[in-house]
Amino acid sequence: MRFHVSHTHTHHRWKALAFACLTAVALAVSGCSIQITSQPDPSIGEDTMLINADKGNPLFDRNFNPYMTNTRTASRWIYEPLILINPLDGTETPWLSDSWEQPDATTIVMHMRDGVTWSDGTTFTAKDVAFTLQLIEDYPELDIYGAWQHLDSVSVDGDSVTMTLKSEDSPALAIIGKTMIVPEHLWADVEDPATYRNEDPVGTGPFVLGNYNDQQYSMDKNPSYWQADKVEIEHLLLPSTNNQLDTVTRGYDWSYSFISDVSGTWGAASPHNKWWFPNAGVIGLIPNNEVAPFDNVDVRRGIALALDRQSIADVASEGYMKPAGQTGLILPNQEKWLDPRIPNDGIVEQDTDAALEAFARAGYTQKDGKLVGEDGQQFTFSLTSANGYSDWTRAAQAVQRQLADIGIDVELNMPQPAGYQQAISNGDFEVALGGMGNGDVYQAFNSLMSSDFYVPVGESTSNNFERFRSDEADRLLREFRSTVDEDRQRDIVNELQQLVYDELPVIGMYYGGSWGLYSDAKFTGWPSEEDPYMIPQNYDSAPLLTFTKLKRVTEDQK
Amino acid sequence: MRYIAQKLGLFVLTLWAAITLNFFLPRLMPGSPADAAIAKLSQNGPVTEATRAAIEAQLGVPTGSMWDQYLSYLHQVVTLDFGVSYTFYPQTVSSMVSTALPYTIGLVGVVTILAFVIGTLIGVAAAWKRGTWLDSLPTLTGSFLSTFPYFWTALLLLFFLGYVLHWFPTSGAYAATTTPGLTPAFVGDVVQHAVLPALTILITSLGGWIIGMRNTMINTLGDDYVTFAEANGLRGRTVAIRYAARNAILPNLTGFGLALGGVVGGSILVEQVFAYPGIGYLLFNAVIGQDYPLMQALFLMITVSVLIANFLVDILYGVLDPRTRR
Repeated sequence: MRFHVSHTHTHHRWKALAFACLTAVALAVSGCSIQITSQPDPSIGEDTMLINADKGNPLFDRNFNPYMTNTRTASRWIYEPLILINPLDGTETPWLSDSWEQPDATTIVMHMRDGVTWSDGTTFTAKDVAFTLQLIEDYPELDIYGAWQHLDSVSVDGDSVTMTLKSEDSPALAIIGKTMIVPEHLWADVEDPATYRNEDPVGTGPFVLGNYNDQQYSMDKNPSYWQADKVEIEHLLLPSTNNQLDTVTRGYDWSYSFISDVSGTWGAASPHNKWWFPNAGVIGLIPNNEVAPFDNVDVRRGIALALDRQSIADVASEGYMKPAGQTGLILPNQEKWLDPRIPNDGIVEQDTDAALEAFARAGYTQKDGKLVGEDGQQFTFSLTSANGYSDWTRAAQAVQRQLADIGIDVELNMPQPAGYQQAISNGDFEVALGGMGNGDVYQAFNSLMSSDFYVPVGESTSNNFERFRSDEADRLLREFRSTVDEDRQRDIVNELQQLVYDELPVIGMYYGGSWGLYSDAKFTGWPSEEDPYMIPQNYDSAPLLTFTKLKRVTEDQK
Repeated sequence: MRYIAQKLGLFVLTLWAAITLNFFLPRLMPGSPADAAIAKLSQNGPVTEATRAAIEAQLGVPTGSMWDQYLSYLHQVVTLDFGVSYTFYPQTVSSMVSTALPYTIGLVGVVTILAFVIGTLIGVAAAWKRGTWLDSLPTLTGSFLSTFPYFWTALLLLFFLGYVLHWFPTSGAYAATTTPGLTPAFVGDVVQHAVLPALTILITSLGGWIIGMRNTMINTLGDDYVTFAEANGLRGRTVAIRYAARNAILPNLTGFGLALGGVVGGSILVEQVFAYPGIGYLLFNAVIGQDYPLMQALFLMITVSVLIANFLVDILYGVLDPRTRR
């Protein structure tokens, strides 16, 4: 009896409690609309840039060897490249090398800048360049850009370095130019450079390492920097940051990430918060050219014509990104290379009738709303994407819906990123979603179509995942390599675009962005749509140029 | 003695099976460590053939047949030297684990013990005072809170107590400005940083202990020996603790053993949300990066501690409950 009574009691309490809890949950859910604001730490000075560029795991490992994949981000602002390249459009800015010539397509002569010193006071010379190139030849694990796939030999004459290439290879300049130079007088004695952590880096760059601990480090301006007069930032502060709430609330001057609803989060946190998301790559479909029916260009064209790129771009990138063309170029960055004869900047518009015609040529006809092949079976294929790349997932779902509309059954296959990478490397897919394009126009087409990267399905490649082979493409790429004349190169690039447009080795859909978030509260002069002097990313060498362009906001400007 | 020998034999056999599984499971995942590293890099732009070659060389991607790899793995297990991590190259696995372990044991270990002690005591009280508010309030709140997913509770606490009210720091195990060391400032800082993650684990795990203890104890309360003790006029507290609770605690104790064994695995989601530099955080990154050496070391550590904890609980059972010894 006692149990029974208590039971009813409990019952009443259940209800009361459940009600209370539901209220709490409702409050909590509505709490999500609480506006988060940027709250910079007041102890961070006006001359200090708080920069969200180094993630940590979640602690930092003190590793400033710029050639390691796990290096601290700032090591690439301590060690500088020969030539600074803007990944958006391939623009080459003279850096440690202040000028260069390509007397023919197999030779590069670089002249080293005068008045550059290492941060310990030693003078930088062309011998440091020769030493570094020798170092990455001796330790291939350090040759991260692949300079020695192009280089044959290096010789030094005064302040000039002459590089002889393995073959006619004019675009190699952009690859070798990225080499970051390390000091011979300190690195010559390093026992194993491939595992060397370089805990106390000495470089030529605008900043030297300040205070370091495993959750935050600071960088101080290098007073003897060769363009010290252009650097107004006195200190950089790099805390280990791991979530987007931190990105928004900590008052960062410079951050880099895709944030959902950027104007309602980053933008609303402070009136100074701005962003610039330039097109930095093309996201598209990679049909496996070795697998039937994707070896048939009419099938590829049919798929291309069936897609509504605007709606895919809107769904995938929350409207921040635009549809991409079928030229292999990233616009507007590479506008100067665009073939004016290609209509509509190369963007393929959705055209269901034309799509059905193309499919009909390949033997597929619509029957009861289904696209069926000559064997009477519905056209079905699997689309491989990477699990966790949410914009890709949304794009893949949009493709699935749009192709279903004309009667194709698309099945999504989403392994973990490593599994995805393995699948596309080995050709173990029918159609995959993937990124393509490169600011360097030669590299864009070379990695897309060169049969140098062609391997049959089952073997691993790192480019040309669609396994496209064309003598025409190979001939054009070879011709490009053999000339240093830009007008001739332009003609070749026009033909390459035509090839991509007609043969559809891959199907471009929308642009992938570079997600630059910055604040103009303390510093102005950021790269922007009006002045796209550099990609807004805050990793690799790219920020070196940005650091010299930023101006401190003075009291009267506020 | 035979009881212990039997348990010991079983322990060794399970250990070998676990060690072997631990070798093969990570290798069944699609993709290689280099694929994982390249997938990460290629989100920032195209990766060239050369970069792939450089990464493979840096990582020292496994070579040799599976059998050779297995033998060298067994050697690693015996010598406890797991080599260099792939994801966190060039750091060694042992240095990474020894940095992370104290944080996890400090956080998850302390909270697990606290949750067990507090939860069991509340469970005893709830069963003893069954039918009153002392029973329904903790039982209902506990069961309600324990249905929350870990990470959701963590996010709510992080958002409200961290970002909106600013009562507690939002990430890390200590502030970036304090120097690690056995100073009062550092210890205080660590405790402050541990509050939110600890609260998350406590909130979501307390309910299980309360309900488990309460339900078994309500059963024992109906047993004759308890009525007999009451009839003998023993004090209420003595009956509750010495007679009812001691017999009711066995299932909870098993759970506690398992939970303690699992402590070294950290709490992946909680550590992830709070960027807490513990084993759970490491494990997550090891799996994402297909970091075989690190994964092997971590899984081995987890399995072995669960096995040891089970073994100890088995022994303890024998002490607490003479019937299991037969």
